[in-house]
Amino acid sequence: MAVGERVAVVGASGAGKSTLLGVLDGTVPPTAGHVEVHGTDPAGLRGRALRRLRARTGTVRQHLDLPGPLRVVHNVNAGRLGSWSAARAAWSLLAPQGTAEVRAALDRVGLADRVHERTDRLSGGQRQRVAVARLLVQRPELVLADEPASALDPALADVVLELLGSLAVAGGGALVAALHDPALALRHCDRVVGLEHGRVVLDAPAASLGVTALEGFYGVSR
Amino acid sequence: MTAVLDRAAPAPTPLRRDRRRWVWGLAAVGLVGWALVASGLFSGPVLNPAGSGQFGRFAAAALRPELDPGFLRVLADSALVTVAYAVLGAGLAVVGGALGALAVARTTWGRRRTGWLVARGVVAVPRGLHEAVWGLLLVNVLGLDPWVGVLAIAIPFAAVTATVFAGILDEVPRAAYTALLAAGAGRTTAALYGLLPLATGRLLSYAFYRLECAVRSAVVLGLIGAGGLGYQLALSFASLRWEQVWTTVYALAALCLLADLGGRTVRHRVAEPRPGAGRDRVLSGAVLAVVALTAWAGWYLALSPATLWSVRAREQLDYVLSAAWPPSTEGPLLREVLGAAVDTVLMSVLAIAFATAGAVALAGVAACPHRAGPARRAVGGVVRAVLLLLRAVPPPVWALVLLFVMLPGILPGALALGVYTLGVLGRLVGEAVEEADRRPRETLLAAGATSAGAWLYGTAPALVGPVLALAAYRWEVAVRDAVLVGLLGAGGIGVVLSAATSSFDWPAVTTVLTAIVALSLCIDLLADRARAALR
Repeated sequence: MAVGERVAVVGASGAGKSTLLGVLDGTVPPTAGHVEVHGTDPAGLRGRALRRLRARTGTVRQHLDLPGPLRVVHNVNAGRLGSWSAARAAWSLLAPQGTAEVRAALDRVGLADRVHERTDRLSGGQRQRVAVARLLVQRPELVLADEPASALDPALADVVLELLGSLAVAGGGALVAALHDPALALRHCDRVVGLEHGRVVLDAPAASLGVTALEGFYGVSR
Repeated sequence: MTAVLDRAAPAPTPLRRDRRRWVWGLAAVGLVGWALVASGLFSGPVLNPAGSGQFGRFAAAALRPELDPGFLRVLADSALVTVAYAVLGAGLAVVGGALGALAVARTTWGRRRTGWLVARGVVAVPRGLHEAVWGLLLVNVLGLDPWVGVLAIAIPFAAVTATVFAGILDEVPRAAYTALLAAGAGRTTAALYGLLPLATGRLLSYAFYRLECAVRSAVVLGLIGAGGLGYQLALSFASLRWEQVWTTVYALAALCLLADLGGRTVRHRVAEPRPGAGRDRVLSGAVLAVVALTAWAGWYLALSPATLWSVRAREQLDYVLSAAWPPSTEGPLLREVLGAAVDTVLMSVLAIAFATAGAVALAGVAACPHRAGPARRAVGGVVRAVLLLLRAVPPPVWALVLLFVMLPGILPGALALGVYTLGVLGRLVGEAVEEADRRPRETLLAAGATSAGAWLYGTAPALVGPVLALAAYRWEVAVRDAVLVGLLGAGGIGVVLSAATSSFDWPAVTTVLTAIVALSLCIDLLADRARAALR
C-alpha cells in the first residue's frame, strides 16, 4: 500500500473483511503467511516495541467496543493510552487530562456538547462518532475502519469517512475501510479490494469502477 | 455535509456528577471511617500476643488433620445429620414458599395494594430473623427435638422463597395469561396454563439454590447445638483438638463444594436445556433424588409429627407467648439494644469493606482467562480453593479462631464476617470478571495501550456497578450473620439476645427480636436504594 492511499474493502457478509482488519491490527493471529505493518512484522515484536507499533495503528470496530458506563471524555482519551503511563491513565479517570484536545476532536464529529455524558446514554450513531473521535486524538498513521458508517445517516457517513481519510492522509499513512455501501466506497476511496470466501477477487482503482459493477459484487450475498 | 461541520458548536455541558452516586459514595466512606474508629483500631491494642502460640498450634494442625477411623465414622454420621436437616428444611421451605408465593404475588392481589403490602409485611418478619435465632426460640418451645433444626431452617427460608417465587411469577411475560383470560378461562386455570410453564425453570433453579444454602445453615445450627457437623466442630473446638477441627473443616468444605456443584449443574441445565425431545434425565434424576432424600431424612432423624401437636409443646408455646407480651420498654434495656444495634451495623460495614476490597484484589487472579498458561491456571485454581475454604467455614468459627490472636470487640467479629464474605464475594466477582466483555480491552491493547491502561479503560468501567451491587446485596446478608456472630459471643445485638434467652427474660427477648427485625428491614431498604442508584 502506498502512503496516503485510501482502500475500501468490499465483500458479502462472512467474506473475511473483519478478519483481514484483525490481522492488520494484530488482534487475529494469521494462520498462515505473515503481514508487514509499518514495514515490520508484528509477530516478531514483544512488549514496548510492539505497543509502540500498535499505537501507530488506529481501529474503529464494527461493534465499537466502547464501555457504556464510562464518560465520553474517557472513551476518547482511551485513544492515548498507547502513549500514557498507567499512573497517568488512572489519574485521568479522576481528573480528565487533555480535555481541550478531546473537545476539539468531539467538535469535529459534531458531539462537542456531549463531553461528560455517559457513553451508554448516546445513540448508536453518536457512539460511532465517539469511536472516530478516539482515533482523532490517537493520531495513528494507519487507520483501520470496520463499517464506520453503518449506523449513520448519509450526510454524517460522508463526514465521518472524509475525516478518517484526511486523518490517514495527514498522518502520512493510509486508510483501510470495510464498507457495505458501494457509493461511499467509490466516493471516499482510491482503491477497491473485493473479497470472496477469504480470497481477493478484485483489486482496482476506484476511478475505473462504477457503482453497478460493485453492486453486482454485493449481489453474491443477496 | 459542510452544513454539519459549519454548524456553530453548542456550548459544552459542564461536568455533571451524578449527585445520587456522590451522596451514596460519601455516605459509604463516612460509614467505613466511623466503623474503623469505633473498632478501636486507632485507640488501643487490638491484638492479643499471648494467644499466638495457640494460634500457631491451630494453624500447624491444618496439614495433619485427624484421620482416626473412629473419628471419621463419627464425622460421617454427623455429615448425614447435617444433610438430613438441610434437605428436610429446604423441602419444607420450598413447599411453604410456593404456598406463600400465592399470598404475596402481585398477580394474586391485582390492584388491591393494601392487601399486598400487608402480606409482604407479614412475610418480612420471619425473614428478618437468622436461622440460628429461630433455632434458639424453637428450642424453648419444642425442647431438644430434631424438629428444631428442621423448622429453624424451614421458617425463614420459606419466607424468602415466598418473596422470590412471587417475584418470578410476577415477572413472567403476561401475554399468554391474558390471552387465556380473554378466552374465558378462570384465573387459576389461566395461571396454570399461561404462567406456571413459563416460570418452572426459574422456580426449580431457585429451589436448588435454597438447598445449597440450607446445607450451610444446617452447619450453623449445629454450632448452637442442633447436632451434625457444626456440633462436632464446636465440640472439637471446645476441647482444643485442632486436628479434629481441621478434619471437620475439610469435610464441611467438601460438603459445600458438593452442594455447590450439584446446584450449579441443575441451574445450568435449566438455563440451557438440551436439544431434542423428551425430559432431561439429569434434571428428572435430581428432582427424584431430592424427593427420595427427603423421605430418608425424615426416617433418619426419627421425626414424629406428633411432637408438634403434643400437649407439652402447646403448653410451652402458650407460656412463652403470654410471658413475651408486652415487650419490655425499660430504659437501660432500650439503650443497650440501641448501642448493640449500632455495633452490629458497624461490624457488618467493616466486614463488607474488607470483603469487597479483598474480592476486587483477588478477582483478576481467581477468574480464569481464556488463553491462560498452565502456571496461571494453577494459581487461579489455588485461589479458588482458598476462597471455597473461606466460605465453607461459618463466620462464628472464624470469630473463635481470630479470638486467639485478637482482643474481644467488634473487630474480631467484623474480620470473621469479612473473611467468610470474602469467600462468597470473591467467587461472585470472579464470575463477573469472567463474564465481562473482553472486546473493549482487546481493542485498546491493539491500539498500543499498556495492560494496566487497557484494564482501567476497557474492563473496569463495566465492572464497577455490578461489583458494588453485589457488595450491597452481601451487606444485607452480613447484617443477619452479624447477629449470629454475636449470639456466639463476638459482640453486637446477638449478645443481648443470647443473654435475654438464657435468663428466660421473655419480654426483653421480644424487644430485642423487634429491634433485629426492624434493623434488617432498614438495611434491606437502604441496600435496595443503593443498588438502584448504582444501576
